[in-house]
Amino acid sequence: MRVLIVEDNEELGRLVVGGLAKAGHPAEHAATAGEARHMLAVETYDAVVLDLGLPDADGLTILREMRARQDPTAILVLTARAGVDDRVEGLRSGADDYLVKPFAFEELVARLEALSRRPRAMQGLTLVVANLSLDTAGKQAFVDEVPHVLSARELAVLEMLMRRKGRVVPKKLVEDQLFGAGGDLSSNAVEVYVHRLRRQLAECGARVTIHTVRGVGYMIAEAKA
Amino acid sequence: MSPVAARSRSIVRRILWMHVVAVGTVAILVPLSLYLLLVAETSSLHRDSMREQADAIAEHLTAGPDGRWRLDLPEALQDLYSEAYGRYIYAIVDRDGVVLFSSHNADQPIFPVVPGTSGPAFLQVQRPFSTISGTRVPRTVGDRTVYVEVAENLSHRDVLIDDIVSNFIPRVAWITVPILLLLLGIETHVVRRVFRPVEEASQRAREISPRRTDIRLSLADIPSEIAPLVVAVNEALDRLDHGFRVQREFTADAAHELRTPITILRTRIDTLGDARLAEPLRRDLETMTRVVTQLLEMAEVENMAAGDEEADLRAVTADVIAFLVPLAIAEGRSIALSGVEVPVPVAGRGEVIARAIRNLIENAIRHTPAGTVVEVVVEADGSVQICDEGPGIDEAERELLFRRFWRRDRKRSGGAGLGLSIVQRIVELYGGSVAVSNRCGGGACFSLRFRPGLSADDASARHPAAVPLSGAGLPS
Repeated sequence: MRVLIVEDNEELGRLVVGGLAKAGHPAEHAATAGEARHMLAVETYDAVVLDLGLPDADGLTILREMRARQDPTAILVLTARAGVDDRVEGLRSGADDYLVKPFAFEELVARLEALSRRPRAMQGLTLVVANLSLDTAGKQAFVDEVPHVLSARELAVLEMLMRRKGRVVPKKLVEDQLFGAGGDLSSNAVEVYVHRLRRQLAECGARVTIHTVRGVGYMIAEAKA
Repeated sequence: MSPVAARSRSIVRRILWMHVVAVGTVAILVPLSLYLLLVAETSSLHRDSMREQADAIAEHLTAGPDGRWRLDLPEALQDLYSEAYGRYIYAIVDRDGVVLFSSHNADQPIFPVVPGTSGPAFLQVQRPFSTISGTRVPRTVGDRTVYVEVAENLSHRDVLIDDIVSNFIPRVAWITVPILLLLLGIETHVVRRVFRPVEEASQRAREISPRRTDIRLSLADIPSEIAPLVVAVNEALDRLDHGFRVQREFTADAAHELRTPITILRTRIDTLGDARLAEPLRRDLETMTRVVTQLLEMAEVENMAAGDEEADLRAVTADVIAFLVPLAIAEGRSIALSGVEVPVPVAGRGEVIARAIRNLIENAIRHTPAGTVVEVVVEADGSVQICDEGPGIDEAERELLFRRFWRRDRKRSGGAGLGLSIVQRIVELYGGSVAVSNRCGGGACFSLRFRPGLSADDASARHPAAVPLSGAGLPS
């Protein structure tokens, strides 16, 4: 994944470029809005990390320019402004994601990877949590590379959870996935499927836990040792 | 100025007090002067009448050639002075005080004779049971002078004017008292009315705070004497507002200045590669980051102004829990949401309310023991409770809790102790409240209550069965 870092602080720019390279993503650095415009004009990137506080222009201006010319490049806005207004303004202007400084570097990498994956999700890919993997195209779950049979509904729920690994999937979304939107089933039905899925994953030795966040939803994470 | 007026700082009271004094003075002066005028007028009328009568009698007085005086009164005049009527009397007295003629066959002059008086005089004598008042007019025929005395018995029942005058104070003058009291009442009402816009302006001024610097006092209906003060106050507010704007800008600058070096440090540690060295450094830096974030959040919340936004408390709470649960699970705790399952519209901005709830849930995660669940309950009345299973909060500490930079355990690092102050600011901003209590089973319970949103009525109409669910429909 090619990434452009637009960041006025040379030191931070250099560190992010170095860190991304180490993570296997070639990155380039632009220190000003002018430089960024030039590089975006001659090169194609999979993602742009955009700092809002630039010396020659507001980062939001570049964001709006890119969206105005229908540039589909994923944009992750990076800013020191934690204010509510700034956050809303950034997302309204067409940013795909938002990260407030200071951030954990892992978080930046994870978000960038999630962003670059987003448009290709339809083609199918393999989702991985600990020793559990799921081939979304072949509709097949593996534990330690050994395939296991799951029902279509169980697979659908598992895919939802694995796509949002480490994040909560709202209960409503799982319900809609299982029974279609507007279904009139009791919420217990969802819990029954999740319970069955949990038992089957445990039986085949998957080191994952499906957490119930009561009243909110479900979350899959690596099981604690 | 009277002592009461000097003590009172209220203009209305001062005006009314001075008015009471003025009204009291007028209440005495008006009847008194009317009485004196009345007395002067009646006595002047009486004197004119007496002199005219004396002149009329003198017309009929003649000196005969033998030197004897003759008096031929017409019948009408004789009736006027008859003893039966008894109101008027006359006497004609010579120089030596000898009575020549009299209406009542008296041998004494009506008024004691004072030798040497030659002009007309008005006199009054007291008799038993009556007051006689009248005049003595000299009449000269040839070289002889006599005095014509005419008097009126003021005690006579026909003397109306005198009765009116003497009854004026007890019977008529009291009417001025209720009239003046009524005037005082009207005055009180008028003065209050005049000052009502000032009262309203003060009410509005009371709402001004660092978070509400946009308020200006209205000049409408303000009396022109007070208008300069209102204008000056508004100008002072403009300057204050400017000061706060500068502070807000400073906050934004400070955010950038502080966050960039921290970000560089963080990225440097994260890309270090040596996990054993990186981990403690990262923890230190996280503490530092939290302090900076809390300071900036506090500054932002302090400068925030409440608009008329509305949020769904249930959705906001669910979002906050979804955001925090990975962190809680990573630390071996969990969060659960219960209560109503329908939207709960409350007054306030969702992102800001979320910040208050997030601060409380973060605190609860920090205090609840590993393996336990932070219980969050949203109620239909616009309240949300966040309960942990930690040690709870002592009665004595509850007051201190919302103070800035106060921490129960000073040795414990993790924040600037601003979290709860931020929570309090946010609920104050939207007119809500925050309370803390202990659960009977152990643990603390923070309760946030927000004002219902404008669409709350519609919502309850749409969901008449918006009762808390007993958990039957919830995953366990």
